[in-house]
Amino acid sequence: MFGRSRSWVGGQGKAKNIHSLDHLKYMYHVLTKNTTVTDHNRNLLVETIRSITEILIWGDQNDSSVFDFFLEKNMFAFFLNILRQKSGRYVCVQLLQTLNILFENISHETSLYYLLSNNHVNSIIVHKFDFSDEEIMAYYISFLKTLSLKLNNHTVHFFYNEHTNDFALYTEAIKFFNHPESMVRIAVRTITLNVYKVDNQHMLHYIRDKTAVPYFSNLVWFIGSHVIELDKCVQTDEEHKNRGKLSDLVAEHLDHLHYLNDILIINCEFLNDVLTDHLLNRLFLPLYVYSLVSPETSEERKINPQVSLYLLSQVFLIIHYQPLVNALADVIFNGDLSVFTTPTDIHSTHKSTASAGGMRRFIKPPESLERSLELSRHRGRKRTQKRPNYKNLGEEEDDERAGGGSSSAGGGLEEGWDDDSGRGEREKGKGTEGIGAGGSSKGSRASGETAEEIEMVVMEKCKVPELTEQNITDEEKTAAATRTHTQRSRPFLDMVYSALDCTSDDYHALFVLCLLYAVSHSKGINLDLLERLQLPVPDQERSSYSVVLVERLIRVMSQAALPDGKVRLATLELSCLLLKQSVLSGSNCIIKDVHLACLEGAREESLHLLRQFYKGEEIFLDMFEDEYRSMTSKPLNVEYLMMDASILLPPTGTPLTGIDFVKRLPCGDVEKTRRAIRVFFMLRSLSLQLQGEPETQLPLTRPEDLIKTDDVLDLNNSDLIACMVVSKDGGQAQRFLAVDVYQMSLVEPESKRLGWGVVKFAGLLQDMQVSGVEDDSRALNIVIHKPSSNPHAKPLPILQANFIFADHIRCIIAKQRLAKGRIQARRMKMQRIAALLDLPVQPSATEVLGFTQTANTSASGLPFRFYEQSRRAPNDPTANRSVFASVDKVPGFAVAHCVPQHTPSPLSSPSPPSSGSGSTGRCDSVTASTTSAQSPADDGILLEHTPPSSSGGEGEGGGGEVTLVSSAPSTPAPAPALAPSLTPASQPTISLLTDNSADTLSVESLTLLPPADPPRLHLCTGHVTAAQSLQRPDASIAEEEEEEEGDAELVRKDEEDGSPIDETETDATVKEETTETTETVTPTDEVLERTDEIQGEGTPKELNGDLEQEREGVTAAESDNAELDTETPDSPELD
Amino acid sequence: MAYAYLFKYIIIGDTGVGKSCLLLQFTDKRFQPVHDLTIGVEFGARMITIDGKQIKLQIWDTAGQESFRSITRSYYRGAAGALLVYDITRRDTFNHLTTWLEDARQHSNSNMVIMLIGNKSDLESRREVKKEEGEAFAREHGLIFMETSAKTASNVEEAFINTAKEIYEKIQEGVFDINNETEEKISDQLELNRQANGIKIGPQHPTTNSTLSSNQGGHQAGGGCC
Repeated sequence: MFGRSRSWVGGQGKAKNIHSLDHLKYMYHVLTKNTTVTDHNRNLLVETIRSITEILIWGDQNDSSVFDFFLEKNMFAFFLNILRQKSGRYVCVQLLQTLNILFENISHETSLYYLLSNNHVNSIIVHKFDFSDEEIMAYYISFLKTLSLKLNNHTVHFFYNEHTNDFALYTEAIKFFNHPESMVRIAVRTITLNVYKVDNQHMLHYIRDKTAVPYFSNLVWFIGSHVIELDKCVQTDEEHKNRGKLSDLVAEHLDHLHYLNDILIINCEFLNDVLTDHLLNRLFLPLYVYSLVSPETSEERKINPQVSLYLLSQVFLIIHYQPLVNALADVIFNGDLSVFTTPTDIHSTHKSTASAGGMRRFIKPPESLERSLELSRHRGRKRTQKRPNYKNLGEEEDDERAGGGSSSAGGGLEEGWDDDSGRGEREKGKGTEGIGAGGSSKGSRASGETAEEIEMVVMEKCKVPELTEQNITDEEKTAAATRTHTQRSRPFLDMVYSALDCTSDDYHALFVLCLLYAVSHSKGINLDLLERLQLPVPDQERSSYSVVLVERLIRVMSQAALPDGKVRLATLELSCLLLKQSVLSGSNCIIKDVHLACLEGAREESLHLLRQFYKGEEIFLDMFEDEYRSMTSKPLNVEYLMMDASILLPPTGTPLTGIDFVKRLPCGDVEKTRRAIRVFFMLRSLSLQLQGEPETQLPLTRPEDLIKTDDVLDLNNSDLIACMVVSKDGGQAQRFLAVDVYQMSLVEPESKRLGWGVVKFAGLLQDMQVSGVEDDSRALNIVIHKPSSNPHAKPLPILQANFIFADHIRCIIAKQRLAKGRIQARRMKMQRIAALLDLPVQPSATEVLGFTQTANTSASGLPFRFYEQSRRAPNDPTANRSVFASVDKVPGFAVAHCVPQHTPSPLSSPSPPSSGSGSTGRCDSVTASTTSAQSPADDGILLEHTPPSSSGGEGEGGGGEVTLVSSAPSTPAPAPALAPSLTPASQPTISLLTDNSADTLSVESLTLLPPADPPRLHLCTGHVTAAQSLQRPDASIAEEEEEEEGDAELVRKDEEDGSPIDETETDATVKEETTETTETVTPTDEVLERTDEIQGEGTPKELNGDLEQEREGVTAAESDNAELDTETPDSPELD
Repeated sequence: MAYAYLFKYIIIGDTGVGKSCLLLQFTDKRFQPVHDLTIGVEFGARMITIDGKQIKLQIWDTAGQESFRSITRSYYRGAAGALLVYDITRRDTFNHLTTWLEDARQHSNSNMVIMLIGNKSDLESRREVKKEEGEAFAREHGLIFMETSAKTASNVEEAFINTAKEIYEKIQEGVFDINNETEEKISDQLELNRQANGIKIGPQHPTTNSTLSSNQGGHQAGGGCC
């Protein structure tokens, strides 16, 4: 079809070679014959123009004479002539395509220069195409973009005319800066950037003097309008329905910031001045920063503080231009509301700076960009001086939107002047409303009011003082008043710090942390600004840190460690990051002891929290390792975090929103467990790092400890089973199967050393699935999955094969060995976790049994138990803590959990640290007392122990409400006696931080007295003296913890063995000891299995009579019983 | 002119892999590929038909703007489809794919359809990247893959149309939230984000002007549909 059309055009003569000079001559002939466009020749003309394009490019690449002919005949003029004839879109599109192709593909500079000369191109640029046609628009803007890519110091003269002050390429392009079509806007930005990049002083001066103010003021308004839209979107959101739109708006804001940053890093100084001025004084300060302090009265034109914090973080993360970000940071951290009453004088030296002498207001530019440009062109040079005051031309009603009407510009001139006299008064009357005038959201405002919002650009310098006085708004006055009391008011900083409070949620806190992170990492902010406030600067030597900040960070951490803390993981991770930045100076840690103690308190809390979720279940181990992997493989990226619009909406708990786990609260028991694990990991790593200790326990499997492929092992005296490995894709290999502690490996004999083997494959036993193969009793099917960091991802098998053994006996042996190895491997790891949690090590023989019977039983058991808990959690506050109790209902598991407490107790009793290492599980409490009855080591404290321990046992039984009633009154009596030594792990926090002694505090907690009005953040927000602020907030932290933990501590106290040793110090040693214990205990398996059989027959030996529910009684009895039985194997060790 | 949907594409990849030539080759059939002539464009549009519906493809080449982060970012976000192009005769262009892909995934709408294209398949003798390698890369990253030649026009049509089909299917599945945008068009004076994901719903009533030009569709620039 097209072939035909070509021959039709060129068919008259030399159709055979359309790429030739002759053909161009023919085309020229056609053009001369058809100078007027008619319906008849339209198609012909279009094809002619198209063919000319093709020939020209061909000529450029192959034959220079073609271009000469084009030059000679001035064929470009024909194009213009056709264009001017209103020839319709069809021809226009073809012409624009031709121009695009020409400028895109011409490689010879001379050809390019020719095309650009004679001002033809500029004529085309200013031609009024029908821009409502999206195709014409697209071709046109692409054409401009193509041209802008050709701009350099030489070609710029073809576009910019110094004498007439014309720069059509630029001025025409920026008129589309707010075009609804995103691709057009992007092209406009590209064009402007390409222009700014050209280092031509004259041109840049022109840009600054004639276009910068109109363009930037409109751009800033455009950005601000988006921001208000974004805020509206956040405010009106219900049930996260606005998320799609919100993420678009956030992305748009990011685009703007990146664009601004791209302009700023071109580093054209005087252009940057104007831009900085506009951004600061027309957008960032009046709209973003002002919104941080939110007086109730001004409901208009402001954005929510959380939105503003979020946006400001983005600003600091993206823009690093020193004059801009430093000034902005300075206002946030040092400024007060007076910045909105004093005129800006930052760049008053530049006449062109529109805002010089004006207030910092977010207002709509008085006229549309197009009109501004037009006016500036018409005014020409004579009126250059007037330019700065172009705003005097008057305000139109702000109801009109930026893109739309600006027709009334100029009409408001008189009004503006007249209004000025009465302005001061009316401003006052209006109170706080004046800030951020130029509403975008409220369209229907009374016109009288609008006038008041007119910026006072007409002020002359000398008048400034009085006018400012008059212009002070109510809350500004208040601010000024407060300033007289304190030496310096920093409302923004106060707001930032007080927003770190996470008691009810961490909605604001996350943004504040991001903001602080962004500011501290910004290259554009002066170090001394940060140092004055002692803000954390990464990798900087320092001797002190901001006490106010650090205390708040630790407070966030303590909150995160609470069972129902509202702190999201991302918030916690950021807090940890900032804390590290604050107190780590080089390799030294300068944290004060008192803060470290608080932090340790939080860490202990997280440990307790995790303990409540700890279960001897398969899935716990998998989760534990998964969480560690995903935490280490995906450290928080603040920049990505702040690109996510979903965090702009109030924190939610449901995964149905699709929000990433770390950016929301946990939902359900599994996620609560995951969260507790993560919190524990983070605080543990932070604590270790601050104390300069290496991590020796995590990850549970270190890759360097594992056997790897091609390792050569000494396999003498190892159990090896020969087998044929048939992989899924059919490959076969003769191998020997060896089972190690954590891994199974397939080896082949090493040729040089007898009895040695080369590892051909090694996989973790814990991730292995073994099953028999149907109708082949000699074969096993083995699948080993790769542990994935994403729990939702489909597991990827790293081995999937059938192992064929010599006979069915060997097959059974192998199967047993693998199955047992798997259980052993998992158990070892569980024991290591238990050690990490300072839990007594579990030999957990019953579990082994449970697993060995069939892998399926255990698997089916898991969901059941999870279900049980989630059922309980919501209505019973203690249920979370009595996780074990619900498990205990299954007799087998009851033993599994309760046996352990016994075992370590005699083992570790000679070394006090184990008891000091904090509370053990609830289960423990029962046994601790009962076992101690038989173990002489614990004799001394036995008496005191007994009553509370029994009550603890009840609490654990799962009937939380009932138990609490009975236990609460009973506790006060033993408490005072126990107090000093039984202080739970988190206690050092308290004793260090309050004036009261530890005893009194623990009495308080034991009697469940509500803490006396905890002095919270508000006390320290006022920057009281260092000493005060040092104590108060922490006291409140401690007291709150106390309150929260009230009953938990009851239990915990009982468990203490009364050793007055400082826990934190000995902590590390304990862990190591317990780990050793793990190993020593293992051999007792068989005995324990026996235990299991006996269990259930016995009768409760020691009941205190206050057990209400039979179920609990049974549980206690069982555990009791179990302990008695297991006593036997351990006693020799005691002696 | 009347279309049911407009899809915006971008073309990405190293310089010199033939992006703009692919673009012209697809959008304008009148420029027949000839051995001694390479022509490229930065923008093109063309109407295609999928499932009986007229769909307009608008393709924007992003070449030459790599130095501005804001521009790259915005382009990705504004597109419904991306053609990621490498040159089968230049190994380095293949090696850079990961970087391109990372960029694309980071900045774009998560629903953006990406098609991997090994261009210059006519230059078999100078081939440095095996077809299987391209296939493997595509499989690994969940892309559609095709080898094309802008020179011989082989597979060019298919590359663009298959991408469009994929987008169209996603629309049918409701993955793309396009209704939201039309609402905004009415409600929001700023006309924000109307095409945030690079898809636009066509005008309801074709104007007389467009009826006219569709009569001449065969010849018009950018309208080379058949």
